[in-house]
Amino acid sequence: MDIIRLENLTKLYKGLRAVDNLNISVREGVIFGFLGPNGAGKTTTIKMMAGILRPTQGRIFINGMDLEKEPSRVKGCSGFIPDRPFLYEKLTGMEFLRFLSGLYGLDDSGSTNNRLIELLEIFDLFNWRNELIESYSHGMKQRLVMCGALVHDPKVLIVDEPMVGLDPRGARLVKDIFRGQAEKGRTIFMSTHSLETAQEVCHEIAIIQEGRVIAQGTVDELREDAGVDGNLENAFLKLTEGKGIRHEKPLSSS
Amino acid sequence: MKNLFLLLSPRALGLKNSVLSAASDIRKKAVIIGATALAFWAVLFVLSARMLVYFQSVEVIGDLLAHHLLSMVLLTFFALLVFSNILTALSNLYLSADLELCHSSPSRLEEVFLSRCVFTIIDSSWMAAVFGLPVMIAYAWVYRPGPGFYIALAQTGLALAFIASAIGILITMIMVNIFPAHRTRDILMLLTMFIVIAVYILLRFLRPERLVDPDAFFTAMQYMSALKSTDSAYIPTHWATEILWGKLSETGNGSRLFETALLWSTAAAMAVINLWAAGRIYLKGFSKSQEAKGRRAGSFILDAFIKLARKPLGGDLASIVEKDIRIFFRDNTQWSQLLLLGALVVVYVYNFSVLPLEKSPIRLEFLQNVLAFLNMGLAGFVLSAVSVRFVYPSISVEGGAFWILKSSPLTMGRLIWGKYILAVIPMLILGEMLIILTNYFLHVSLFMMILSSVTMFFAVFGLIAMGIGFGAVYPRFKYENISQVSTGFGGLVYMISSILFMAAIILLEAGPVRILFTANMRGVKVTALQGLWIILAFLSIFLLIWFTVHRSIKMGMKALEEYERF
Repeated sequence: MDIIRLENLTKLYKGLRAVDNLNISVREGVIFGFLGPNGAGKTTTIKMMAGILRPTQGRIFINGMDLEKEPSRVKGCSGFIPDRPFLYEKLTGMEFLRFLSGLYGLDDSGSTNNRLIELLEIFDLFNWRNELIESYSHGMKQRLVMCGALVHDPKVLIVDEPMVGLDPRGARLVKDIFRGQAEKGRTIFMSTHSLETAQEVCHEIAIIQEGRVIAQGTVDELREDAGVDGNLENAFLKLTEGKGIRHEKPLSSS
Repeated sequence: MKNLFLLLSPRALGLKNSVLSAASDIRKKAVIIGATALAFWAVLFVLSARMLVYFQSVEVIGDLLAHHLLSMVLLTFFALLVFSNILTALSNLYLSADLELCHSSPSRLEEVFLSRCVFTIIDSSWMAAVFGLPVMIAYAWVYRPGPGFYIALAQTGLALAFIASAIGILITMIMVNIFPAHRTRDILMLLTMFIVIAVYILLRFLRPERLVDPDAFFTAMQYMSALKSTDSAYIPTHWATEILWGKLSETGNGSRLFETALLWSTAAAMAVINLWAAGRIYLKGFSKSQEAKGRRAGSFILDAFIKLARKPLGGDLASIVEKDIRIFFRDNTQWSQLLLLGALVVVYVYNFSVLPLEKSPIRLEFLQNVLAFLNMGLAGFVLSAVSVRFVYPSISVEGGAFWILKSSPLTMGRLIWGKYILAVIPMLILGEMLIILTNYFLHVSLFMMILSSVTMFFAVFGLIAMGIGFGAVYPRFKYENISQVSTGFGGLVYMISSILFMAAIILLEAGPVRILFTANMRGVKVTALQGLWIILAFLSIFLLIWFTVHRSIKMGMKALEEYERF
């Protein structure tokens, strides 16, 4: 079953076509890598899926529900991890997670508390749970955001650049968690610049350029499409030998 | 020292670029702000000049008073300068984002330190120069000194600025070496608030307006004489006063070379001491300020208060309210302003308690009730001023973390209502407190007491809805300090709208109140037509408040749903 479906998804920014008629389907239990050069439209797509940007055209279906029509229900079964962890600096880690559990409709029961403690332990933040977030390092904040995204055990995780600011141990931890989530039948839609990470953990990859998908498949299929041997990097570089973002309006000649 | 000018150049280039690239609307805003400052400057000049002319007219002690006033002005500005330097030195020497770059460059420590001292002097002194100048020009206008006064003014002003900066910077360096820089700023923020409140309350209770009252002049003279004792011969402002007074008065003996030498040698000595101290403790303090802020949070009282606030709400709204309360009380820049608010209320109520109503030629009962009626507008204005600072920024306070709410199942409508509930309760308490206490001091009739309390009760719903609504329409999620949010264009629009809203309520209520009050005074019945007018007027007020709440919330909701500047 396709748990994520993007249909003719388009986003225009003052004449710039950042995302152009995107069509993607992702099956349940898959780690889906979303790759592309800078300015290709990855973050815009991800923000639209998280419900913080509105598409100019097209529709987003998550878990069979239309994000436009049922935003609260869709957001209730998905979790979002942005690339920059802006958080409430004056809350402690534990207070932040409790706040999120309230937002996602979890009760104040002991089981919720146990889940929060379990997540804090998994992400190695338990000893910092009563410290203000302002005292956390960038990597710790990133791990706390991940904790927060898992509080309500979402069916779909939407992740933008998960490895930014993480040390090797943190990066390994995140990869293991993503794999574990996929084994549990959860789906992860992840944009990344790290081709090694994508090659290592993603079951399927889409490469986006100028707001359009130019290739999609497994790592082997992408290599085949590109007609190159070796690692994903070679295939990626071959496939993305293109232009920058296309302008809706023609540029005036000087 | 070849890198000193290079280290100073980013600020100058930044200023140049922002002036050149400023959009036309920013230029328009600058013109408005400039015109307001000029008007303030003119008022300050006229007030100072009038006071000095008045002093001159008083025989024997007139010049003495003017001399003492000059000494007081210089001492006040100097004290403010020292304090302002402590605050700006903290930012410039320890907390600025570009310091890492400066310290990692091949520039010498002295060069970095001196460049930051220059920024500190400029940042902290320009305000004193701008506000002090009209007072000094007023002295020149009244006493007509020669051109030597202006030269003396420039050099003493410069020397005082150097000395104040050196003292401020030295205190900062010592404090940062004792406390971490972030903690020092918190302490100073709090200290500033206390000083501002103390000065504000003191001025109000001293009633400086009595200084121009001939009946109270004897007391004022005693007061001024008492202040003379603070003017010690060992402080720089005393030397500056003597230099300037020498130029202003004909009796000034010589060019006051001794005082000038004292002033500049002190400035030079302070510079040397600062450079010596910087070599020993500046880098150590900077390194300390870069350390992570390890701080545990927890308060039994706050937890209990939050538990109480959560109870009637439950679910996502309770989470929003809890978060906002915690953040508010942990952010010193936010809660410390509550102290200022407390001072404002005390002064507001106190003013009513000292009104000399019995001296008025107008009938007491009439005057009391007219004042109570007008007081509704005044209290509405105070509430608007408070909400522009506390309610209007309540959406912007989410800052960079707004994505969390936007990507959660919480609808923007629920968010707006959560913020509304949190703001409306304390503002209702404040509004009713202002109205009931002031009416109590005015000894108004029961009818006026009920009318104004009920009006204020309902008006608060409209005022707060507008605050939240406009705050959502003009959100500012990127800010350094939350108090900056209300100073923007949206804050101005909200202030104007809330004043118009209160004015509309007062105008609608004025007719019916006059009818009811006159009927009551004369002991006659209200006619049917008058009755209809009263009903229609109160119905209009109710509709106005309902419409304001409905439109403001809806407008805010739509704006947040469409917000995309992530």
